[in-house]
Amino acid sequence: MPFEHDDLGKVMDKLETAEKFKKPDRKRGKRKYKSTRQVMNDESKRVQQKRDESEKPFTNMITYQSLTAPPSLKPVKTYCDITGLPTNYKSPNTRIRFFDKECYDLVKSLPPGVDQQYLALRNANVVLK
Amino acid sequence: MTVAVDFHTAAAAEDELPPQRVYEMRDYYQPTEPEPFHNDWQKGVPIAIDLGRSMVRVGLAGKEDPSSIFPSISARYKDRKLRRSLNMVGNDVFLDTSVKSSLKTPFDGPMITNWDSIETLLDYSFLHVGVDSQNRVDSPVVMTEVIAPPFQQRFNLMQLLFETYGVPKLAFGIDSLFSFYQNGGRSGLVVSAGHNATNIIPVVRGDPLISLAKRIDWGGQQGADYLGAFLPLKYPYFPSKINNFQIENMVHDFCYVSTDYQEELKHYLDLDNLEKKDVVLEAPFTEVVKTEKTEEELRLEEAKKKETIRKLQEQARERRLQKLIEKENDFEYFNALQEKMKSMTKKQVVETLREAGFDDQNDLNKYVSGLEKSLKKARNQDVGENDDDDGKPPSWTLLDVPDDQLDEEQLKEKRKQRLMKSNYEARQRARQEKEQAKKEAEEATQRDTEWRESDLSSWTSSRRSKLEALKKKRKQRLRLKEELTDRKSRASQMRMKNIASLANDDSRGSSGKKRRAGNVTIDNDPNDTFGANDDDWAIYRDIAQESDNEIEDEEERKIYEIEEELLRYDPKFTINDSLQRQFNWRNSTLHRFLRGPRDSDPDEQHQQHQIHLNIERIRIPEVIFQPSIAGVDQCGLSELCEQTVLRRLPAEPGFSGDDSKEVLKDIFLTGGQALFKGFDERMRIEFQSFLPVGTELKVRTAEDPLLDAWRGMSKWAVTDDARASFIGKREYEEMGPDYIKENRMGCIRL
Repeated sequence: MPFEHDDLGKVMDKLETAEKFKKPDRKRGKRKYKSTRQVMNDESKRVQQKRDESEKPFTNMITYQSLTAPPSLKPVKTYCDITGLPTNYKSPNTRIRFFDKECYDLVKSLPPGVDQQYLALRNANVVLK
Repeated sequence: MTVAVDFHTAAAAEDELPPQRVYEMRDYYQPTEPEPFHNDWQKGVPIAIDLGRSMVRVGLAGKEDPSSIFPSISARYKDRKLRRSLNMVGNDVFLDTSVKSSLKTPFDGPMITNWDSIETLLDYSFLHVGVDSQNRVDSPVVMTEVIAPPFQQRFNLMQLLFETYGVPKLAFGIDSLFSFYQNGGRSGLVVSAGHNATNIIPVVRGDPLISLAKRIDWGGQQGADYLGAFLPLKYPYFPSKINNFQIENMVHDFCYVSTDYQEELKHYLDLDNLEKKDVVLEAPFTEVVKTEKTEEELRLEEAKKKETIRKLQEQARERRLQKLIEKENDFEYFNALQEKMKSMTKKQVVETLREAGFDDQNDLNKYVSGLEKSLKKARNQDVGENDDDDGKPPSWTLLDVPDDQLDEEQLKEKRKQRLMKSNYEARQRARQEKEQAKKEAEEATQRDTEWRESDLSSWTSSRRSKLEALKKKRKQRLRLKEELTDRKSRASQMRMKNIASLANDDSRGSSGKKRRAGNVTIDNDPNDTFGANDDDWAIYRDIAQESDNEIEDEEERKIYEIEEELLRYDPKFTINDSLQRQFNWRNSTLHRFLRGPRDSDPDEQHQQHQIHLNIERIRIPEVIFQPSIAGVDQCGLSELCEQTVLRRLPAEPGFSGDDSKEVLKDIFLTGGQALFKGFDERMRIEFQSFLPVGTELKVRTAEDPLLDAWRGMSKWAVTDDARASFIGKREYEEMGPDYIKENRMGCIRL
């Protein structure tokens, strides 16, 4: 039996009873939205400030940033942007990698803009600022 | 790379292959009733909340399983019919499609960004656990967090829990360490392949070395997003939209980790491999049923069509005939003129020529020869084909009678007869010419056969060079076509030049040389020799940008003809040398990639709504081992493990060789991505590739990579270790959010 649209109200009634176990004297109001980027910026500012404040220099402070994996030291393998097959060929015009002549024909016939969408998949697209 | 198969035999084999299995694209699951509530809550029993980036698991500590598991999403929707705003959470969002349309996640990547939504999620969690205390949640709370979260994240959570819900005690931990705890781990390398990030954490004798933990910013979510961005590029004209749920389910259902990516990838599009690995998915659609026409209707339609075509052909033929006669008259006139000029004086010749509109004798000759050529061409067309041919010419009685003996009516009749006569004669001449051509063609085939039979090698070499020339021409045309797409190429600029000069031709006429010759119309201006040479017309083809399909087809037909001959008579010429082979779908990488191991019919409705997953099945999970595939500038999981195990762990103070051995004996995989088939096997192979031979190694996956984190929380929350690491409400109020008690579940001071 499918769920009746009108019953949504009853579900909501029940959900609103959550108010009972929340503090009545709590601060309310809209919270400021912060994007991931802002959160990360604030965090690095906080870490810097903490470093500046501390008397003895501490080296291995653990932060979200410090746990990020380092770049790879191994040679990067390249793959066809169209199919994903391993390849070493690259279109001189668009820098899209392609597997064979057939893929290259496709690359050449791509409508404008689509080449950038392909490149965006591996963060190699041109970003205009 | 591709196996050379004679495609005639392969085509025969294909008939025996069964059709591929078609899966439907699995969408989200629509529940029929709201999430059930529980009421076994007791005051003081800790509540464990695993706040995952994709799923929330909630339940009372000490229990076997969480009481509620729901996706971490919420939807705020103003319902007009009910006249209230709805704020739904988790599975309840999917109860109603209009609510679903406004669903949101509180996360942006790994971070919590929408705190109102988190509050809604927590309301919902406590309510479903059955919290029944007034004005506060009277239970300690254990929550998961990311490793070393930015301070703001933990601060906001603490503030929310203490100041809004008034929880008495609070502790944090890391989900993968809870999972490791649940699976009885002590020393090991915890690999948490989660929804928004992949972490590795070395654990020694129960203590996590958070300082050596590392994180790759790639998780299940990113994989699904990647596929979601890629599929529209793979199928740009796909008729329906593939939604995120379908994409996610594709990743869940069909992606797997390849144990040897390079090798498997190389042969993935081979036909026999595709036969096994290619997955066909069909989007739901309503089939359009074409109304079948009866045979009678079809026949009538066909007849009608034929009749129209016949009429049009008739008209065209008539028109061509008129033109031919006109031309013949011209030709006769100018021929006579030429004859006459032979007996004229020079001055008279010049006079006559100027009168007729020619520059000099040469000009006239050129014009006449041009006329002759076009006459020949015109005769070779279908003129005279369908004429009734009774053998004897009709008689024209009035033609021989001088005009002055006829009355007006007869004069008219005479003119008509004259026209008919020339009509008839033109037809006769055309027919003769045609018969001549036919005879010549027959003779040519005869000669060709004789040549072939007497001297095969010279015949084949001549055919081959002909074929080469044709192929070369075709190639050149294709290249030109391609060059024309580039505005700056030489070909494009030549084209612009041609257009400019053609446009200029109109003005050339006004440069003083106005020509007019007898009954020659402006169209066949005698001094304009354009068109006398058939190649002249190519200029219009050159400047017309769109491809000329007819010419392409014609060219291909010629190539095929020669190839067929060569195939038949030249023992050295095989099907692999032919152009036809290149167009065979079996040899097309793109066909196999897009349409799988079967031929396809672009007009078939089911096939239009089908996508094929093949390389993507291993490509998506591979990103975690090679983040560069998706342009993430971080090292892959195996390289990260290698660095950690071989270099960073041994360098850690207080760490012994025995510890290292212990760690390698328990490589522990958890998190949603650990569900990929082949993940543990691949990890084992990767570890073996960098470890010394004979090192004891054990790789295991959590019993339940999704739920074990919560189970670990439930178990841990009632231990002494947990009791010691809870922060009380009073402590929070006194010392602020900076104050934290570190524990063995990865909660660290920030």
